[in-house]
Amino acid sequence: MKKHFWVFFIVMLLVLLPFTVWSKGQQEKGAVKLTIAGRDGGYGKAMQLAVDGYSALHPDVSFEVLKLPGASLYEKVVIDMKTSVGTYDVIMIDDPVATQFQKAGWLANLDDLFKKSGKSLDPDIISTAVKLGRYPYADNGTLYALPHVGNVELFAYRKDIFNKLGLSKPAKWDDVLTDAKMIKQSEPDVYGVVFRGVKGNPIVAGFLPIYWAFGAKVLKDGKPALDSPQALNALNFFLKLKQYAPKGVSMYNSAQVKDALYGGKAGIVTEVWPSWVPKLNDPNESLVVNKVEVTTHPGEVEKSSPMIGVWLLGIPKASKYHDTAFDFLLYITGKEMQVKMADEFGIAPTRDSVYKVSKLISKYPWYPVQAAALKNAVGRPRTTKWSELENIFGTYLQLALIGSMNAQDALKEANAKMTEVLE
Amino acid sequence: MIFLPAFIVIVFLTVYPIFNVFHMSFFKYNYLSDTKKFLGFTNFIRIITDRLFQKSFINTIIFSAAATFAEVGIGLFLALLFYGFFKGKRLFMIMVIFPMMISTMVVSSIWKTLYHYDIGLFNYILKSIGLHPVGWLINPKMALFSVIIVDIWQWTPFAFIILQAGLNTIPGEIFEAASIDGANYYKTIKLITLPILFNQILLVILLRTIDTFRIFGKVYALTQGGPGNATETVTYYVYREGFTYFNLGRASTASIYILIVISLISVLYIRNIMREEK
Repeated sequence: MKKHFWVFFIVMLLVLLPFTVWSKGQQEKGAVKLTIAGRDGGYGKAMQLAVDGYSALHPDVSFEVLKLPGASLYEKVVIDMKTSVGTYDVIMIDDPVATQFQKAGWLANLDDLFKKSGKSLDPDIISTAVKLGRYPYADNGTLYALPHVGNVELFAYRKDIFNKLGLSKPAKWDDVLTDAKMIKQSEPDVYGVVFRGVKGNPIVAGFLPIYWAFGAKVLKDGKPALDSPQALNALNFFLKLKQYAPKGVSMYNSAQVKDALYGGKAGIVTEVWPSWVPKLNDPNESLVVNKVEVTTHPGEVEKSSPMIGVWLLGIPKASKYHDTAFDFLLYITGKEMQVKMADEFGIAPTRDSVYKVSKLISKYPWYPVQAAALKNAVGRPRTTKWSELENIFGTYLQLALIGSMNAQDALKEANAKMTEVLE
Repeated sequence: MIFLPAFIVIVFLTVYPIFNVFHMSFFKYNYLSDTKKFLGFTNFIRIITDRLFQKSFINTIIFSAAATFAEVGIGLFLALLFYGFFKGKRLFMIMVIFPMMISTMVVSSIWKTLYHYDIGLFNYILKSIGLHPVGWLINPKMALFSVIIVDIWQWTPFAFIILQAGLNTIPGEIFEAASIDGANYYKTIKLITLPILFNQILLVILLRTIDTFRIFGKVYALTQGGPGNATETVTYYVYREGFTYFNLGRASTASIYILIVISLISVLYIRNIMREEK
């Protein structure tokens, strides 16, 4: 029995050996397959466009593109990079979690790859977006990821209603409150204001531009700072604003906000992302063609504080194809591809020059405003614990929104919970 | 020796992971930062005193009890109602099992639209007959029950099918004899049908209790634990600790609490069965 086993083992070894030599040879010859872990929806379609374009130029490179929902993408890439399996060669990274990946040392150093390729980072890419891919988070930090989608939060209002009521673009958040009240009183079929109220990331993302504009901070010197008078003013203002929002606003997520905006039901939308509005002026999709002004947020104590939410692209250290993956990164973040992705799928560019392309400006008239917002946007705190902090903040914000807690208690408890997490 | 392969498989697929979860529950272990520190029973104390876990636990008990009770009750009622052969029974059975065949995410998406406060069908009907709209998913007092209703809609057919199959195994002669002896319909159910079906009813209760105790998909898709913490459940708590924060120590500890509860329920059921067999 033992003898048979060894004969079988040696025969199998001899049969498989040529295959391993052959496959190694294939790798060296340049038959490369890049596996991309990316997002679903419009982002996925844009990625496919880039992949098809790159494959046409480089027939020796094939791709497998995973189009995943945000939470699933995060889980998969964390587990893969932690175990150094190297399943993925290019990954999409939501900017707040980039710090975790960079600190853990899971991403390839792009500065080194730039040096190796003899190229340099194009200054056309907007620096606020590039900075999010650096670690430490500074202009001279090491580059670990390139900005792929230049998302920045914007503000929208119905200019037809504003004109009818004699209102002008709100300069301060207090003006928004007055305007929302007037809209509610005079337009029975339109909500004064609409925002995302779902707990966790959605409500936090919607609230931060208000919070920052009121001079409040999430973290101060690395410690939670939700128990400040500025934070309380901001939350009290948010609760006042709620009076003019739909009754079910606490369950409003991006789909509901978009429905309200496109269906002409929203007078003011305090949080608009570029990927939500590409078809705003398409009569087949929208009831408010040329009736909506997309602009920057008002200020209050501080100047307008739009939130940046860039999707980055990085190369896991464990990937076997750093050079090819890096070449693909340069291709997808190049001007030509960014123009195509913006034109076809409304993907927000990260290059200054793309915001000046006349074809795109005529399609998306808010591009100059969007570019300015991106350049002046505020990033979320750079901490490895952001997911936990955001969830705590989002839960207590919603408890205040639905009236289960008063503003002061909600902030106090959220602050205590955050302190616990950071300790 | 003949059981060795099966034993090895069980050890690797069941015993080892459970052992590993037990082991990890004694540590502060973050998968992302790779920090691991022995804490003894600290995690167990922290989790059990965490107000969010307590709320999640109570919600899960309410969800499990209400959904199981309603599903088994309605399933039994339907099984008795549709006992025997009637025209179109095959088509009816296909229609009945339909909700079970749809994925939880699809079911949740449909119900989320129906429950929508402003544009949902239910509130449209309520408003059209002059009633006030209901905050199905936005009212903290209502949201958990709205999720329970979705589970009842999807899983009552399961109870119905098992109990229907159990009913069909009862020989018709027993009912005929009871009828000759003068037993009316309700007496027949009380004294013959239910005692014979007892084990099947117990089985359905056990399976549905375990399944509802692990409720995750519907909460994830319908409410994400909100509004506030009104629909937080223990599995959602474990998911967030494990896969959003990657705090594997805390996630393991919370999982052990779930394991203990499910084991207790299973032991109660098995003891009942054993008693019957004796």
